[in-house]
Amino acid sequence: MSEEAIIRVSDIVGGPLCVSSEDGQVIHDKIAPLIREGQKVVVSFDRVETMISAFLNAAIGQLYGEFTEEQIRSSLTVRDMAPEDMALLKRVVDNAKLYFKDPDRYKKAVQPLSEEDDEE
Amino acid sequence: MIFHLPTIRSQREGFERLGILAVETSDLQSDKLEVDCSRCGFFDANMAAPLAAVLTLIADRLNTIEIVNVPPAIERILRKNRFLAYYGYSPLEDANRTTIPFRRVQLADKGRFEDYLQRHLKGKGIPSMSAGLGRVFKQSIFEVFQNAVTHSESRLGVFVCGQFYPSLQRLDLTIADAGIGIRNAVRRFLKRRVSSVEAIRWALEQGHTTKRGTQPGGVGLKFLKDFVSLNEGKIQITSRLGFYEFHDSREDFKKIDSDYPGTAVNLEINTSDTKSYRLMEELSSADIF
Repeated sequence: MSEEAIIRVSDIVGGPLCVSSEDGQVIHDKIAPLIREGQKVVVSFDRVETMISAFLNAAIGQLYGEFTEEQIRSSLTVRDMAPEDMALLKRVVDNAKLYFKDPDRYKKAVQPLSEEDDEE
Repeated sequence: MIFHLPTIRSQREGFERLGILAVETSDLQSDKLEVDCSRCGFFDANMAAPLAAVLTLIADRLNTIEIVNVPPAIERILRKNRFLAYYGYSPLEDANRTTIPFRRVQLADKGRFEDYLQRHLKGKGIPSMSAGLGRVFKQSIFEVFQNAVTHSESRLGVFVCGQFYPSLQRLDLTIADAGIGIRNAVRRFLKRRVSSVEAIRWALEQGHTTKRGTQPGGVGLKFLKDFVSLNEGKIQITSRLGFYEFHDSREDFKKIDSDYPGTAVNLEINTSDTKSYRLMEELSSADIF
């Protein structure tokens, strides 16, 4: 087994669009076991034209629920990613770190329906 | 039953009026609905998507639908974008290539939606849109579609339609579903009765998602808002009795007076925008994790 596993996303999702959670889950399922085995993982976004947050949440964001930040930082690298997609990935990662610290924290801040409101 | 369709613009009142159509026909079953357009003075072409969502719900109760007395100018645009082709009219060729045609897509048919966007967003009639803007716009539309797939539970699918206005350098694209609405998803998740407006407000906050399981969420809508702000465009979200608009750095949350059955998201982009949408400072992999 080589020291560094390279996952080329476009080959796995079958094209340049990374626009669904399902495809993100498939990529996640390739990455997670490798990190668990202590391998270095390089995720290449070569030939990817469009990606969305739901894809990245599934592929990478949810790793923060399974591994420590240190584990991820030392094993995972991304490459061949457009700068604007890197920015989206950064948002997804920052959001995932917060999410897994306290998944229920977002339930707290909301106004219940007031008495005057006639909505059912 | 005859319903007189009034003027429908891509504004709060337009969605409210479509909600009235849904409410007034809610008891119609195995019957006939005639949508009389003689009182319709104007119809924003992208609004064909939320209108179709309402009509499809009505047809789902085994009602037949006829659209009649359509004023010539409106008929022309709705034949060009092929919305009226679903109601027995012949399509017209879109010689100026300014329409993004009306389509109904099932939620499971991701491939069809991808083909649709790849085909109809590609430069057609939108010469001033830069490659960078086109890319982020496409990304934004996929974000909206994925939201519908994940949250709407719309068994009738989604309805999409767009229109380019060359003189205004604006492009509107609307994705509507006939699903449960943001309110119901948020109520179920929070186990609390919240209004449609409060549910939209909640869903727009970064990190807020009603998704369950191991995948985090709540990045997509914030991304859309940031994009629209940078682009000086507009985003409108109508869901059940709630309406939201973000335009010109101003956010407007309003209750509407009718129950729009589902969720519709309209994105309006400024096609003359030449910003690169690249960061000033490039991130490396090490900065991310």
